[in-house]
Amino acid sequence: MRLRLVQVIVLLTLALILSPTSAQEETPEPASARDTTAYQRVNLFTGPGITFQIIDRIPAGVPITIIARNRSGTWVHIQRENGAGEVYENGWVISGYLNLSPELNFGDVPINDTVGDADADSDMSQLHDLYLVPVIPTISDAMREVYARGQEENRNYPHVITKVGDSITADELYLEPMSQSNYRLGAYQYLEETIRFFGASTSVDSVAARVGMTTYTIFDPAWADNTLCEPRETPLDCEYRRKRPSISFILFGPNDLLRMNDQQFDTQIRLIVENTLAHGIIPVLSTFSYDPGMGLWLQSVNFNRRLVGIAADYEVPIINLWLAARALPEYGLEGDHIHMKHWGTTYLKFDTGNVAFSGASLRNLLTIRTLDEIRNTVILPAENAD
Amino acid sequence: MLLGCLLLAACTSSGDSDPAQTVEQYLQAKVASDEEAMRPLLCSAMEADLTREASSFAGLGARLENMTCTRDGESNTVTCTGAIVATYGTEESEFPLESYSVVQEDGAWKWCGEAG
Repeated sequence: MRLRLVQVIVLLTLALILSPTSAQEETPEPASARDTTAYQRVNLFTGPGITFQIIDRIPAGVPITIIARNRSGTWVHIQRENGAGEVYENGWVISGYLNLSPELNFGDVPINDTVGDADADSDMSQLHDLYLVPVIPTISDAMREVYARGQEENRNYPHVITKVGDSITADELYLEPMSQSNYRLGAYQYLEETIRFFGASTSVDSVAARVGMTTYTIFDPAWADNTLCEPRETPLDCEYRRKRPSISFILFGPNDLLRMNDQQFDTQIRLIVENTLAHGIIPVLSTFSYDPGMGLWLQSVNFNRRLVGIAADYEVPIINLWLAARALPEYGLEGDHIHMKHWGTTYLKFDTGNVAFSGASLRNLLTIRTLDEIRNTVILPAENAD
Repeated sequence: MLLGCLLLAACTSSGDSDPAQTVEQYLQAKVASDEEAMRPLLCSAMEADLTREASSFAGLGARLENMTCTRDGESNTVTCTGAIVATYGTEESEFPLESYSVVQEDGAWKWCGEAG
């Protein structure tokens, strides 16, 4: 039941995420959004949990005001006001029953943890860190400095991006369709310039993205393509030397889960981030989608939390694919529970809602939106300043 | 009897090991992800990389195909032909064998990474 509710919450969050303009570009009014409604009749409790007393029932469709939420986001504190602006109902409802206002960024809603959270358990307390990470990252000033250093010291190419990871990333349908011109962007037409800006560079295979790759083997010269890489060169160094990209999209996790603990994973990801920064390349990390019904679920949560922590430590961007994919059927995964589900075409296609069922399409969209952020906030200002 | 045992031990000690054989043994241990077998074959300069080396093909059903290793004259380089073939799901990846550095430490030949 809890899982179902969480899925509903994430579905609502995803509706915000997939809106053509980023929530970060808007000016949300989290505490006063008046056009939030419940989509069905919902019980009003005195606190955030079903063990609290039920004090009323809120009909579907009536406007309510969100005051706060609990830490995990599963419950919200709401009020209803009469025509004179007087509060006549005040209590907590399960957030999954609400049609959140499009102007509302759920992550900005104040947290009220002064009331005991009867709904909390250890599982949810681990997950709440992941729920609160924005899907599309804000780009830090530190990355502007990294980019500038990469241009000056390494002569990295502004238009070149690359990808680093295992089979999920090596997949030819990840980013590579950006090099084609027959995309259908629908409401995301505004991303076209960004796709054209970086697209050509995605047609060249990455030697740092390979089936079976892990955070260990990315540093193993045996895994480097010896027709393209120098002796003793690691796949990561080889890729960065060959392409001199300005941005590197990095996703590891599902393969590493089988081979190491989260401390070892943490160490290896930090090595990758530090190596990338040393090349003057902006590393963009990503959480990964995982089916809670599979073994190693808690370990996957730990791995994703490590990724979030590392991104914060180094001020590098992180795409919260884990959160965005939570709302998709089977978490956006293929039947093998590992690879992202494809959408049936070989070109970018965002105009028919396939980002709401295909993990691969969703990941492309999130990556391109992040590229758009980086281009607009880092690359273009730097070019204009020259 | 004791003398015989000492002579036998001396003759089979690693001091007389063949560098090409060391490389072959190392690669066999690597595809088997056998960390304990790799440890005595790895040079001291790469001790810190043991876990990475042992994890390289873990869980990938890796095997060696047509491996032949030969020392390049009297140099510290061993060149191998053949390949490591790793299976991931239904897909096979091939990792061609190449030239490797070897060093003598404590009288034994040790594998010391790809030759530069």
